[in-house]
Amino acid sequence: MTRWGMAIDTDRCTGCGACVVACHAENNIQTVGEEEARNGRAMHWMRIERHYEGVFPDVRIRFMPVLCQHCAAAPCEPVCPVYATYRNPEGLNAMVYSRCIGTRYCANNCPYSVRFFNWHGGEWPEPLQLQLNPDVAVRPAGVMEKCTFCVQRIQDVKGRARSEDRPVLDGEIRTACAQSCPAQAIVFGDLEDPTSRVAQLARSDRAERLLGDLGTNPSVIYLKGGE
Amino acid sequence: MAGEATWLHAVFSSSADARDAVRKLAEAKIAAKDVEIRSSVPLGELPPLGSELRTRVPLTALCGGLVGGTAAFMLVSLSSMAYPLPTGGMAIVPMPPAAIVTFEGVAMGAVLSVVATVLIEGGLLRLRGRPGPFDRQLADGGIVVSVRSRAVPPAGWASNAVATEL
Amino acid sequence: MSAPSKGREDVLFRPLSGVRPGLVACTILAAMLAGVLWFCWGYQIRYDIGVAGINRPVFWGLYIATFVFWIGISHAGTLISAILRVTSAEWRRPVTRCAEAITVFALMIGGLFPLIHLGRPWLFWYMVPLPNHRGLWPNFRSPLAWDMMAIFTYLSGSILYFLLPMIPDLAILRDRAVAEDRGRFRARLYRLLALGWRGTPQQWFSLEGGIKAMAVIVIPVAVSVHTIVSWDFAMTMQPMWHSTIFGPYFVAGAIHSGIAVLLVAMYVLRRVLKVGDYLTDQVFSNLGLLSLTFALIWGYFTFAEHLPVWYAREPSETAILLQRVSGDYAAAFWAMVILNVVVPLGVLSFPRGRRPVGTLFVGLCVLVGMWIERYLIVVGSLRFPRLDFTLGSYQPTWVELGILAGSFGMFALMYLLFMQLAPVVSIWEVREGEQHASRVGGGVEPEPHPVVPHPLGKRA
Repeated sequence: MTRWGMAIDTDRCTGCGACVVACHAENNIQTVGEEEARNGRAMHWMRIERHYEGVFPDVRIRFMPVLCQHCAAAPCEPVCPVYATYRNPEGLNAMVYSRCIGTRYCANNCPYSVRFFNWHGGEWPEPLQLQLNPDVAVRPAGVMEKCTFCVQRIQDVKGRARSEDRPVLDGEIRTACAQSCPAQAIVFGDLEDPTSRVAQLARSDRAERLLGDLGTNPSVIYLKGGE
Repeated sequence: MAGEATWLHAVFSSSADARDAVRKLAEAKIAAKDVEIRSSVPLGELPPLGSELRTRVPLTALCGGLVGGTAAFMLVSLSSMAYPLPTGGMAIVPMPPAAIVTFEGVAMGAVLSVVATVLIEGGLLRLRGRPGPFDRQLADGGIVVSVRSRAVPPAGWASNAVATEL
Repeated sequence: MSAPSKGREDVLFRPLSGVRPGLVACTILAAMLAGVLWFCWGYQIRYDIGVAGINRPVFWGLYIATFVFWIGISHAGTLISAILRVTSAEWRRPVTRCAEAITVFALMIGGLFPLIHLGRPWLFWYMVPLPNHRGLWPNFRSPLAWDMMAIFTYLSGSILYFLLPMIPDLAILRDRAVAEDRGRFRARLYRLLALGWRGTPQQWFSLEGGIKAMAVIVIPVAVSVHTIVSWDFAMTMQPMWHSTIFGPYFVAGAIHSGIAVLLVAMYVLRRVLKVGDYLTDQVFSNLGLLSLTFALIWGYFTFAEHLPVWYAREPSETAILLQRVSGDYAAAFWAMVILNVVVPLGVLSFPRGRRPVGTLFVGLCVLVGMWIERYLIVVGSLRFPRLDFTLGSYQPTWVELGILAGSFGMFALMYLLFMQLAPVVSIWEVREGEQHASRVGGGVEPEPHPVVPHPLGKRA
């Protein structure tokens, strides 16, 4: 069995935002513009949250990249009346865009607020449409969307490994955010494989999960506490 | 109007008068199928004409509820098991939601079967609009008792009637 | 023919023949207001759901608040009329029909709102359990799926419960229309709707049994509907939604708003159709007392809902509570408390306040108050999600407000059509009540069984 997971080292994160841009480019995420962003409709499957530690003048800003946590017991899944979001056998919390009717119930039940609704459909004026990733669907207006753990890259690597008759190697799959992180704070891999880097990091003393006490059992592990 | 002529109609202004007429008919051993009583309000107790009034509403409501509930439960369980999705350790057919949907199925089945029973027992939906001469008085609260003429009703059965017509 | 009712009933038949210019004018106005709803919805479908003000994290807004509001109002009729029927409350007789009509129309409108709210409403049938070649079924674990089943059951049940006792009245209308040979349209309509009703003892017996049974079945269904609506919220992890009291709290609120609409509708009927002989001061007073009761129950639930949150000081819930009682929503919150509890208490506690004008005033106040309650629950909670990085704001757009206004137009339109097509007071039930009264009061009844036996009991 496989369970895809991610470890994010917040001690390494500089808050540069490269992962956010990479995610936009990889996953055909629309940019909504100033006005819509002000209305609370900005779309970033991966977003960087800031929080401040300490009291002035001894203040430190910490950054926390937040994306879909791909919970093993995902609160968003049972509330969808049409199975548009479901758990796939490799531990991904998958979205079936063509099935989504837009009740937005899943987003209300997501404690991490990582689900984004497509309010108007994207626009890519000439020649920007040429940069669209052909491996990723462009979502129409009225559906929910969110981080997929770059499922297209997972599929790609799995296909290549199968054609070469070998297992997928650890570190072979890199999500767009992990690939573009200059501080190398993001590690992607199989949590069920005890030798993988992500599984080792998940066992570290610094590992914690976001809102872990809710019992959602996320697949994203945050590393925090060192200097 | 051949069918019309075979009925004797009498319209009464009070339920007591109508009751009286029905009692006379019953004493003369007129069969229930030869008498038709019509009113715009429920009359309550009437002298027996040899047949009992009965309704199967409670029984059909129960049966309809059972059928509806079973159907709803099967819908929930079979459709979930037709393609069981991984749920992160949660049940494929969890009982509380199944119970909720089953409850609605019970109610739906019961409601539909009650209405169907009323329609069937009352011979409704046939829309056989056989008008009588006293329909207007009926609408105003009169009680119309009609007897088939071949049943030979006793003389004076409609002596208290407001109006009669052969 | 029961003499006292003769001239009195004319007032019921008057709007049911010919055309009354005043009512027609009102109907056209209501239709225009209803048109606003369809225009706005069309605009929203054409230019995407984004024309509404909802956003992240306020994914549900005015549409869902108004959905809960209308579904709540639907508890006026069927539930109240069923309870009064089951308990054989005599004063129910003139009220049941106009109350059940409210249920049917409010449910139709309420059921529209989840569709309006969908991102892709043309695909709503994905929620309907239709056999299909892909083997895809709705997810019955979702409260929305329960909701749809419950509303469908309640709507079907209410329509049938509304029409079943109307059959004898429709037959009366049919016989009158045929005899007077005017209004060919009406004669044809009533002949069709009366289903060939003749009024034989067997038909009455089955009908009364059916009505009793329906009343018993429909009460738990009505309770389940608003409980499940509340579970749409209570099943989530959203702070201030995840509350065990929501089921009974919503049901109490629903009945509270339902009685309010019933009081307003009865007042309008009394003024417009002059049916004061039927909808008497006593009826208003009785419903006023019922309203008072539910104001107290609702007030108690509101207190019981908020007190533990305040006491426990759980951060994510306390943030929402403080916004509600002393922050952004303080004005709305306290207005809601005043409109829903203080005003009913102040007015309805006194016999003078329970006159029709007083109950009308309370009805209008409670209506506004209950709408605010739903808005606060939906928007006031969603703005503050558990991860407080994502605080939100929400402002309804003209599309949403237009649809809200249009829904009232829809309701007025349907109610006006009902007033012109069916008697607003159940004629046969009132006649039957008069018979009872004369029997019990006059004591001239020579019959052995002066009381009509229970229709479900056997009789020879």
